[in-house]
Amino acid sequence: MTSRRLIAILFGAVIALVTACGGGSSSAPASHPSSSPPHSSSSASTGAAAKQKSSGGIPQNGGGDHDSDNNGGPSDGDGNI
Amino acid sequence: MRIQRHRALIAGAATVIAAGAIAASVAFASGSGATGSPGSAAAHSRVAAAAGSRPAGRAALNWFRAGPAPADWHQVTLPGGGAVLSYPPSLSPMTGDKGTVSEGFTRSGRVLVYLNVTPRQGDETLSGWAHFRVGHLTDDDASSARLDGAAGGLRFRGGPGSCVVDDYVTRVHANHYREIACFVRGAHASSVVVAATPAADWARYGSLLERAVDSYAVR
Repeated sequence: MTSRRLIAILFGAVIALVTACGGGSSSAPASHPSSSPPHSSSSASTGAAAKQKSSGGIPQNGGGDHDSDNNGGPSDGDGNI
Repeated sequence: MRIQRHRALIAGAATVIAAGAIAASVAFASGSGATGSPGSAAAHSRVAAAAGSRPAGRAALNWFRAGPAPADWHQVTLPGGGAVLSYPPSLSPMTGDKGTVSEGFTRSGRVLVYLNVTPRQGDETLSGWAHFRVGHLTDDDASSARLDGAAGGLRFRGGPGSCVVDDYVTRVHANHYREIACFVRGAHASSVVVAATPAADWARYGSLLERAVDSYAVR
């Protein structure tokens, strides 16, 4: 009976060892995203801005207004593409 | 006796494994702390790199002094009345987007002086103007753009503004322009004023562009 208990302790210890290693490895990727959000959030906002820019607003060259900025001229002050 | 020895052996092995498990946990915990440190150091170095890539700052806009235009300059009001652009008589209207105002001076089809006023259309803000403008240039019609200077908190006639001085190369014909571009918030409307010239002609026309920006007024 006591011997079985000891075997159970032994088994438990092995499980603890495996868990310790496995848990550690799952926390490693989590530490990576914590340093990268500023990057991804800024690129996300840029993407959102770009999406917003491409919709609506004053018609651009594609709309046939013949302004200079897509023909090698200086860029105007529009907030859309 | 044999059973006791067997128990002792199992107990010893269990103790060693348990100690190993604890040691491994502690070591891993401190190890992840160690990987966290380089991570935060990397984050710091990214911030430093970003700070290092910032433009020279306000120096490129030290000339700015809001004030009236020379007496012989003309004025044109943005449709809707949100802003007034002053420009020298040598400039003439240029084709532009509906709802905007453009005045310029060309020679042999080459734009030498370009002034444009456009009402706020997108995500332009006073605080994010430099980022917006340079990002927009490369999104739109420039193959490359470089921020040469930026300043916020400028007091235009009628409201606060943020300005950049930048230069860019167009995708079409690879023309290299240098510009002053400002986002100005009026009491009733916000707008963007752009004053540009070929980079090679900045020495000749730069002061004219600065004067046009100085006299820009919003309502």
